[in-house]
Amino acid sequence: MSEGIRVADVDEIDEGEALTVDAETAGTADDIAVFHSDNGRFYALNDTCTHEDASLADGWIEGDEVECPIHSARFCLRTGEALCLPALINTKAHRVDVRDGGVWLYPNVSPLDA
Amino acid sequence: MVAAPASIAVVGGGIAGFSAVRELRRHGYAGELSLVDPAGLPYDRPPLSKAFLAGTLDRLRLQLAPGQWYADNRTTVIADTVDKLDAGNGTEAPVLALASGRELAADAVLLATGARARRLPLPGMDLPGVFTLRSAGDAQALQAYLDADAHLVILGAGLIGAEVAGTARGLGAAVTLVDPAELPAASAVGVDMAGYLHHLHAVHGTKYVRGAAAAVTGAGKSLLVELADGGTLRGTAVLVAAGSEPETALAETAGLSVDGGVLVDAAGRTSHPRIFAAGDSSRRIGPDGVPGRRFEHWDAARRTGEAAAAGMLGVDPPAEAVDWFWSDRYGVHLEVAGSMAVPGRTVLRGEPGAGFTAFRLGVDGILAGVAAVDGGTAVRAARKLIESGRILDPGLLRDPGTDLRRLARGKP
Repeated sequence: MSEGIRVADVDEIDEGEALTVDAETAGTADDIAVFHSDNGRFYALNDTCTHEDASLADGWIEGDEVECPIHSARFCLRTGEALCLPALINTKAHRVDVRDGGVWLYPNVSPLDA
Repeated sequence: MVAAPASIAVVGGGIAGFSAVRELRRHGYAGELSLVDPAGLPYDRPPLSKAFLAGTLDRLRLQLAPGQWYADNRTTVIADTVDKLDAGNGTEAPVLALASGRELAADAVLLATGARARRLPLPGMDLPGVFTLRSAGDAQALQAYLDADAHLVILGAGLIGAEVAGTARGLGAAVTLVDPAELPAASAVGVDMAGYLHHLHAVHGTKYVRGAAAAVTGAGKSLLVELADGGTLRGTAVLVAAGSEPETALAETAGLSVDGGVLVDAAGRTSHPRIFAAGDSSRRIGPDGVPGRRFEHWDAARRTGEAAAAGMLGVDPPAEAVDWFWSDRYGVHLEVAGSMAVPGRTVLRGEPGAGFTAFRLGVDGILAGVAAVDGGTAVRAARKLIESGRILDPGLLRDPGTDLRRLARGKP
């Protein structure tokens, strides 16, 4: 399992907001968006919408879904599943843990294996 | 919960039909699934007046999904036209008679037949060089007439007319827009936003003529549009952009209830237990039993397609959402949600080029609609505010310093 990265303090990301971790820091192909949903939970997905070039971190975050800011495609924050048009292709979900007051991202580790 | 039908046939490969197919499989539907459309694989229509017409998006990229997707999702796409729907008595499976002579029986049928361009009852509408725009083929035919030497006369300054004007200007063509309205789209986007959008035509060199066509005459690329007031306009091509009419012929001959659209409930059920309808061809009966407006936008087609999929499976349809549409012209991105036409007042925020947004508040102070250009997620936040039914302080909405996302989440 890859090393976790402490990407923020818990109180640095407001509910309904997200931050991006650049690909170089994450060691991944795409930037990663780390979301703090209005349900209080943290999630992480590849940041770029699978439909067209847009940052999901700028999207609308609600429950366990994020909606792309450009064309409103929705993705499941837990699994990365593309839930509606215009996106057709699923994106990748990454594991996020909250501990010691910090938000820890595990790039390329599936949250479902946690 | 009722048993899912063993086989489902979807008529129409637009957003509603495709979304229904996708949602059926997402719900784990395991039965036989067919989609019938004369164009074959489903494709997206919003680019037909923009990137596809401009030639910057090719036909393959219009497709909503590659061919392999249908194999993966065990969906048979039949490139054929449905001539007739025999609904049956509700006990046996309805039967679709296809133009090729083939018959297709399915336990449930979804009519997602869309709409056709409205034709004007005027002389000359069948002349070569007079077009409507609804399909990829229509766009290709029009495109062949658009170059720097072209002069396109567009009859109708609604969404399609305005978007094509922008695209044609981008291709170097001269454009004249003809519409009876002093200010087109005022009821759809509100007077203030309509004024801004209308002004863009002049800024970008599109001539606007207030009036109505009476006839088109001429031949080849020398056409003459005769106006009702006696005036004339010369053009090399004419686009009739006069709105749409629902494709309800199959439903009517099958004996379904039709009134300005195939009448459906929230789960896409028609008056026949085995037949559902969604998208532009459908019209929803409200909880009060009264048919509502027929929505003709992309998002409504997606939502009603998904709702009909749930209806066919007997599961709860997705939560309702406020109506939302977008339009792009002259490099400006417009989004509108809810209604800008309810009685009340309009509150403006920002200015063109800097988050120009119009909010429509009902007389009760509740947000009813929003229209914004290049507003990012402001409209998404406003959709949430509309759905919340909250009474909002107009001063807060007017202040560009107000974070609409935070406001929508009920935060200070």
